[in-house]
Amino acid sequence: MSNREIEVKNLEKRYPGDVIAVDGVSLKVEAGQIYGFLGPNGAGKSTTVKILTTLALPSAGSATVGGYDVVEEAGEVRRIAGVALQDVGLDPLMKPLELLTLQGRLFGASRRDARARAEELMQLVRLEEAVDRQVGTYSGGMKRRLDLAMALVHQPEILFLDEPTTGLDPASRRDVWREVRRLNEQLGMTIFLTTQYLEEADELADMISIIDRGKIVKSGSPAALKASLGAESLNLAFSERESAERANVLLQSIADRTQLDRVTVRVYMNDVAHKIPSIIERLSSAELDPVSLTLTQPTLDDVFLQVTGTTFDKERTEAEIQELALS
Amino acid sequence: MAAQAPTVKTIPSKAKFRAPILEQIFLVTWQNLVTIFRRPAALIPPIAISLFFLVIYNSTLGGAAAFIPNLGANSYLGFILPLSIVSASLSGAGIAAQNLVRNIESGYFDKLLLTPIKRSALLTGTILSGAVILGLQAALVLGVAMLMGLRIETGILGAVAVVGMSVLLGLGFAGFTMSAALGSGSAAVTQSAGFIFFPLTFLAPTFVPLELLSGWLRVAARLNPITYVLQAMRAIINEGWVWPEIFAGILACVILGGAMYLLTLFALRRRTARS
Repeated sequence: MSNREIEVKNLEKRYPGDVIAVDGVSLKVEAGQIYGFLGPNGAGKSTTVKILTTLALPSAGSATVGGYDVVEEAGEVRRIAGVALQDVGLDPLMKPLELLTLQGRLFGASRRDARARAEELMQLVRLEEAVDRQVGTYSGGMKRRLDLAMALVHQPEILFLDEPTTGLDPASRRDVWREVRRLNEQLGMTIFLTTQYLEEADELADMISIIDRGKIVKSGSPAALKASLGAESLNLAFSERESAERANVLLQSIADRTQLDRVTVRVYMNDVAHKIPSIIERLSSAELDPVSLTLTQPTLDDVFLQVTGTTFDKERTEAEIQELALS
Repeated sequence: MAAQAPTVKTIPSKAKFRAPILEQIFLVTWQNLVTIFRRPAALIPPIAISLFFLVIYNSTLGGAAAFIPNLGANSYLGFILPLSIVSASLSGAGIAAQNLVRNIESGYFDKLLLTPIKRSALLTGTILSGAVILGLQAALVLGVAMLMGLRIETGILGAVAVVGMSVLLGLGFAGFTMSAALGSGSAAVTQSAGFIFFPLTFLAPTFVPLELLSGWLRVAARLNPITYVLQAMRAIINEGWVWPEIFAGILACVILGGAMYLLTLFALRRRTARS
């Protein structure tokens, strides 16, 4: 029986050419927790998952899954962990019950038990009506749900989901979210979830780590992370960058914190809603006129912006993308 | 979703974490065969080519039978049939490797690596699926030859021996293409790898006995394992249980197969090694 925890200490993964995909990552996932690993494309999420699921070796550091070392006790890790990777690995010529039954039998179940388990999982992921079709005829959402079922065949204690809803339509995404929550609530399954979707992490995770360029830049519960930015933020959009920069400097003297994001200045301060008139007056006196003004609750994007200086939407340069592609 | 979601029940299971090795091999063999037979179009070309050459060679070169010793009651068909069977082995050998590439490209191969499956079971199961296909192909070619009037001197047992030898030989070819599949993960490279053995079928006593070859071709034929397989099959079909020739053929298959199995094992270890 595992302890259903995940512990990572100073994990590193380097590739030839001095590419550092994972750079000193440390984290701990408590038993029964849904842990969100949030970051943009190329941040190092999938590489971390590959190491934790024994598909890759770390260059340095250590990690245990369920109390088992991922390097020395890989077999035990595979026994207690279920994995649904970013790329669904399904044979398109096989039918779902065949795949699920085969999976169950490889994990040592009898033919009858494996078949029963397969039928149960088909119901769980709502694919009963497609049971006689080859997997190659499935939609992307159906394949993801079947892949999730494959990860659950051997009743794992810890589940790794690598971007489980990437490419899915909103309805399918909600279906997957619902399944993930149910697994956690009903079975107490520890779930390690990587995602590039802020709302997914916000919706599902008990704890979040934000990873960027191989490093963890911030960790905490979604509520705590957002609360660290204050109650609300005032977003002032300008027509040009120069105006935004001047406004950012001007408002730093009165705000708890400001953040410049392209042509938008975000102002974080207590009771910011009541201070709007004085802010506008100060800007007007400097001949700075924002084109729009919005009041928003802090989001994880705000958190990401604060800790990395960029948003998830910002396009990386081609060189950055190529550099991070290996991760 | 409107309906009440089903709850997850725990199925009483006697799961012991890992299936026994023989069961693992059986499961991999079964998975490969199911998917191979669900694409029957891939099975047709190797058979068609072998049967085509059988008919063509027998028709165009049948007059050479007068110069061929030890044909017994058979026509030139008894001499040329082993070439068709070997050709079937060669072209059919790539089928299991192509299926392996398909598993790699679809990501299912990586999915299997996340189970407790032993790497040797993964390899052996894939090889066995190839053996089944090769056996069926060889039996079909042999069956057509018998319909064309071939008489096997050693009877049913001899027919089984010929099919068995073609399977053994084909597994050697298959090992090479599988190592290409594991090394490259590419269908194109895997298909190309199969052609490397094609010249071997002609650097042999392909159309005439070894004694009638001369010069460099005779030297090359003596060094070619296919020569001994052809001679063994011809002995079984036309003469009887000529054990020295049969053992030489089996030995050639074992040496080729053993070398290719090691190559494949090495390629599998490289692909599945964690880095």
